[in-house]
Amino acid sequence: MAKTPKDGGHDHSEDHGHDHSAAPMVDEISDFEILELAVRELAIEKGLFTAEDHRAFSEWNDARSPAAGARMVAKAWTDPAYRARVFADPLAASKEVGVDWSEPSGFGTTSDYMHLTVLEDTPTLHHVIVCTLCSCYPRPLLGHSPYWYRAPNYRRRIVRWPREVLAEFGLIIPPEVELRVEDSNAKSRFMVLPVRPEGTEGWTEEQLAEIVTRDCMIGIALPKPGRTTDGPRPIHKASRPVHSGGRPREAAQ
Amino acid sequence: MNSESDGIQEQTEGQYVDLRRIALLESIRNEDQTWEKLAPRWCVTNPEPPWKVCLDATCDCLSAGGALDNLERRHAEDELEAVYSAIPNPERQLLTLAHIMLSRGLLTEEELARQISTVRARLEAL
Repeated sequence: MAKTPKDGGHDHSEDHGHDHSAAPMVDEISDFEILELAVRELAIEKGLFTAEDHRAFSEWNDARSPAAGARMVAKAWTDPAYRARVFADPLAASKEVGVDWSEPSGFGTTSDYMHLTVLEDTPTLHHVIVCTLCSCYPRPLLGHSPYWYRAPNYRRRIVRWPREVLAEFGLIIPPEVELRVEDSNAKSRFMVLPVRPEGTEGWTEEQLAEIVTRDCMIGIALPKPGRTTDGPRPIHKASRPVHSGGRPREAAQ
Repeated sequence: MNSESDGIQEQTEGQYVDLRRIALLESIRNEDQTWEKLAPRWCVTNPEPPWKVCLDATCDCLSAGGALDNLERRHAEDELEAVYSAIPNPERQLLTLAHIMLSRGLLTEEELARQISTVRARLEAL
């Protein structure tokens, strides 16, 4: 797993949230960097939010990664009492691995409602999560959702053809295994607790957490010894333009 | 600027956002400066540009303050997917946010153009 700097930016071997090692800098000011700053500064100038609010949310965003969810899964694999708490009171169990869902505002963020359900995979039951409405995702535990998860193509198809879509991700679910797709709604978040794989007997929590990647907790991959990163995933375009359907067309006027 | 070219978008009015192209944002669609291009050019391995965290925070702040609800923004992002399909993320997410804010009157094109000039002058001062 040697990491070289000239890898085209696609070596995620240490990048599912466990490491923030120093890297070379981009010494070039891009139009996008300027646009981000301009939008933010104007919004502050107009009083849409304060610089202090922005600092608080930036720090919160920066601290998010799938490493927290991985710690939760690894601990549940090794500690039966904790495992029971994960299902009985997921928010309290999150706190035990350092994640407080009420941050940064005292009542969470406006898109991370404090209602979490952890889905227990078994040898005969597999879960995968989606948000058909938009892109609801357990950000406090998994960090930001990948773009393919947000894309209408995934959201539309995973609920219709889950086995086929999982196969596209390289995950073949045998026909005898039941497959459940959990659709997040505006107030509910889900995370998958996968089955602990064979070959990990005697491993420490830290070793186990290494193989619990973001994709395993979404349900499009399974943990296994030696697999510590999620590869790049294709983002398919939707075949038709999006009509969100969130409110009647006549209400738009 | 490129409004006559790529990605023919016949529908001009979405349910959540005006889909017409915005000249100022069209002028910023510099594909050579997306993180996908910049990162390998500078041997940087971070999968996201440093400003992505700030962009997400801006979205959170706008929603928390009531100016732009996250769910409405996501619906509008979906509708704008075809308009900005040539641009990868997170640049598309940024252009889309600016587009939504402009089309909803939270910012004007003139204000944004002026602020872009101000920021550019500041960042390029040294």
